[in-house]
Amino acid sequence: MPITILPPKPARPLNTSHGAHPEDGSSLSSDESDSGGGGVGLDDGDISMNLPPTTTTTKNPAHSSHAHSLVTPGESITSDPQWMRGHGTYIATDTTAITSSVAGTITRTNKLLSVRPLRARYTPEVGDLVVGRIVEVQAKRWRVDVGSTQLAALPLSAINLPGGILRKRTETDELQIRTFFAEGDLVVAEVQQLFGDGGAVLHTRSLRYGKLRNGVFVAVSGVGGGGGVVRSRRQVWTMDVAQGAGQVDVILGVNGYVWISKHVETPAELEAGGATGAGAGAGAGVGITNMEEIVSATMYSSQNDPIEVETMREIARLRGVVMALVENGLRVDEDMVVKGYHEAVEMALASADGPEDVYLGDERGQQLAAALTGL
Amino acid sequence: MPLDTSTYNLALLRVDGRRWNELRRVHAQIRTQAAADGSSYLEMGHTKVMCVVTGPTEPGPRRGGAAAGGAGGGGVGSGGAGGKAEIVVGIVIAGFSSVDRKRYGRGDKRTLELASTVSNALAASLHTNLFPHSQINISLHVLSQDGSLLAALINAATLACVDAGIPMTDYVAACTAGSTSTYAANDEGADPLLDLNHQEEQELPGLTVATLGNSDRVAVLVCESRVQISRLEGMLAVGVDGCKQMREILDRVVREKGVRMIQEGTVEKGVGLGDIDMD
Repeated sequence: MPITILPPKPARPLNTSHGAHPEDGSSLSSDESDSGGGGVGLDDGDISMNLPPTTTTTKNPAHSSHAHSLVTPGESITSDPQWMRGHGTYIATDTTAITSSVAGTITRTNKLLSVRPLRARYTPEVGDLVVGRIVEVQAKRWRVDVGSTQLAALPLSAINLPGGILRKRTETDELQIRTFFAEGDLVVAEVQQLFGDGGAVLHTRSLRYGKLRNGVFVAVSGVGGGGGVVRSRRQVWTMDVAQGAGQVDVILGVNGYVWISKHVETPAELEAGGATGAGAGAGAGVGITNMEEIVSATMYSSQNDPIEVETMREIARLRGVVMALVENGLRVDEDMVVKGYHEAVEMALASADGPEDVYLGDERGQQLAAALTGL
Repeated sequence: MPLDTSTYNLALLRVDGRRWNELRRVHAQIRTQAAADGSSYLEMGHTKVMCVVTGPTEPGPRRGGAAAGGAGGGGVGSGGAGGKAEIVVGIVIAGFSSVDRKRYGRGDKRTLELASTVSNALAASLHTNLFPHSQINISLHVLSQDGSLLAALINAATLACVDAGIPMTDYVAACTAGSTSTYAANDEGADPLLDLNHQEEQELPGLTVATLGNSDRVAVLVCESRVQISRLEGMLAVGVDGCKQMREILDRVVREKGVRMIQEGTVEKGVGLGDIDMD
């Protein structure tokens, strides 16, 4: 085989940028490496081997990202002992330096330094509104996938039991556990309690929570920073949609699971509407006190209500908006979804296929994102 | 085809035109699969590897999307009572990845050993104690092989774990080193070589070394060929130095992605390092 000998290239810029110890064999200039017979200097090798086990600073010239306060694993944040380390950091052995353990941005809460990862799995916090899927039914509880590091638990005692009164669970309820939630059902719930190992306990003891139906599920990955659902004031809202398709409920679970469904008047709202219509003015605030009158067996039904085609189309459009937001790395919150939805309706009106066009992939999605970021 | 070592002595250039201390071209990307928790794609020369990380998730088969396919195994730590996440590595080597087409079975011993090595290497760096009762699935796919396979697998897995946001002490960066003449030649003046390709790996003694970040702490050292002990130190020194170069390359990939995400507004800006030091 003929061997082509390429002309010697200048030393790779990488080597020069890496010249933390210039006497090391690998960063010799090309002349020296030729004349030196190519042998690595073992003394030099020893020098590099005797470097302290943890180099305190990993400065390289490409640290323009410091302006963005981005840190990567193993990067020392500060060695000042006045700071406390938070999530995403650790203290290297034999030092006092707080070092980052994830790639992300630094956040500071008083004297606490933590690094928020660019992307990570959902970590539950008490009070979070989550959408989850039942994956396992046990004797007295369900196990719910909420996109966390472990399955969350939903005890039988933490749901609204049907039967008209707020009551304790009985053995009959335990035997009928599958009639409330079965494997594959979707629920909206709140995180009630956390365990030390990252496990969570959910509850659905409010009329806002419970089984989900009449809609579509979207899983938005990359929670905890990267283009996911962010904790905000309003995670659940009802919005009017175009084409006279009525109202649509949107639930943005903090865990990145989203539920978009047809809005169904709850018995409470119907009652309240009737009451105000009659001028009684008894603003029926649905709370734990009058809950018992309202909870009925229908709340554990898995049967969808009849949904008009127009409503289905608008639900699909909203789903497209959420997916487009995620694909283009925008955050998903009420403001963005509502704005994006109106933008999508405008785009559909302008498109060749008319207002029935719900496609928001590829260029349409980018166009949508551009319109939103331009606003 | 024997390596023409005499040509090396003439021009000090290797078969692919590199010098003794040069890495091959490294190209890497993170977040290649939107649906995965973490994903990466890495090329070291013509060795091409894809990695998908799922987790930490509830342990058990087929939960959380991707079960470790292909040659599974290499689990480190116990998913249950150990109080640490289990790292399960699955490696699939494509039949078309090498020059001669070959089927790699599910229980291929070499693949299983690679999986267990990758698993052990990452266990040294990942903070698995933060995720008790859970499991981290690392699924690696080899698309093309041209030497330094283990190093490429480790590097790809590290990148994917960074993308998945799993806390770790530092990058685990790996690379290979060899020597310019065979064991039989017993050549005292043999030079060490950095980053072996397939041809060199077949004929020359070589080792794979992985270090923890910028330190000299060796996380993996695999040597499967006969080599004089006198050459080992030189090979190791060159390998460790290559690992540091590799860490910079991996770090740059992560930084570029992170800076882009910050600029796009996906991630909120944090506090500058300078601001911290000031007060």
